[in-house]
Amino acid sequence: MHSLLSRRLFLRSAALTAGALLGAGSLRPADALLRISGPEDPEPSNEEVARILRELAAGRPIRRGHVSLDMPAVAEDGRVVPVMIESDLPMTSESYVKDVHLIVDHNPDAHLAAFHLTPAIGSCAITTRIKMKRTTWVRAIVETSGGELWADYTKVLVTLNGCG
Amino acid sequence: MANEIGDARIRLPEQIRKGEVITVHAIVSHPMDTGFFRTREGDAIPAYFIKDVVITYGDAEVARFEWTSGVSRDPMVTFSLRADREAPLTIVWTDNKGGVYRQSANVAFATA
Repeated sequence: MHSLLSRRLFLRSAALTAGALLGAGSLRPADALLRISGPEDPEPSNEEVARILRELAAGRPIRRGHVSLDMPAVAEDGRVVPVMIESDLPMTSESYVKDVHLIVDHNPDAHLAAFHLTPAIGSCAITTRIKMKRTTWVRAIVETSGGELWADYTKVLVTLNGCG
Repeated sequence: MANEIGDARIRLPEQIRKGEVITVHAIVSHPMDTGFFRTREGDAIPAYFIKDVVITYGDAEVARFEWTSGVSRDPMVTFSLRADREAPLTIVWTDNKGGVYRQSANVAFATA
């Protein structure tokens, strides 16, 4: 029994490690080891985030892909954390990214920002700087003009609370 | 911070070719107070932040951002724009106390 449990734990951690390595292709090597990301999408950390996701989804699936959320794996100062959100989805009048949502699970105002775009933008690429209260999942969710939802998630370790 | 609240800058590429997708950098001076901090004397600092950003290219609204106080002090943002005509790019930032701050930059094409 004991050995079976150990084996399960070993397999599980091996799978998580493999997932983290596979997902880390675009990262700098030093960040890759610190980034926590598994093959599964992160569960909402609290009821508020669950509510935000339910309202955004409105019954539709939120799939991982077509979006890249690039943030440092470790944010030493939670007052100023860089964020880059990019999507490879088209920006034409027939099909475009119309909304980009940035959600920080453990912030006081979890739905931190929404960016509403039009095809005139030409490409979906937004950078800004945000505040983070503590270590948490961050979610970038985009909605297309056709009503599809695509997302990327990343966990950021915060050492200095930037929200008070 | 030497700048006054609402001082804003827009930076465009120096050379723009007609039809290319350019990167626009924008920054506005603003405290972006969350309402969660107190002064040294213990008084609450009320929430004071940019909540709405509207980007207009010529006559067309091309993007609109909704922000909370979770965006960092002196909020900066970069985004793309398809430079398909010569026209002013105008950004209007509005805060939760009704302050409105405006800045423009001209999208003009490099002469060959």
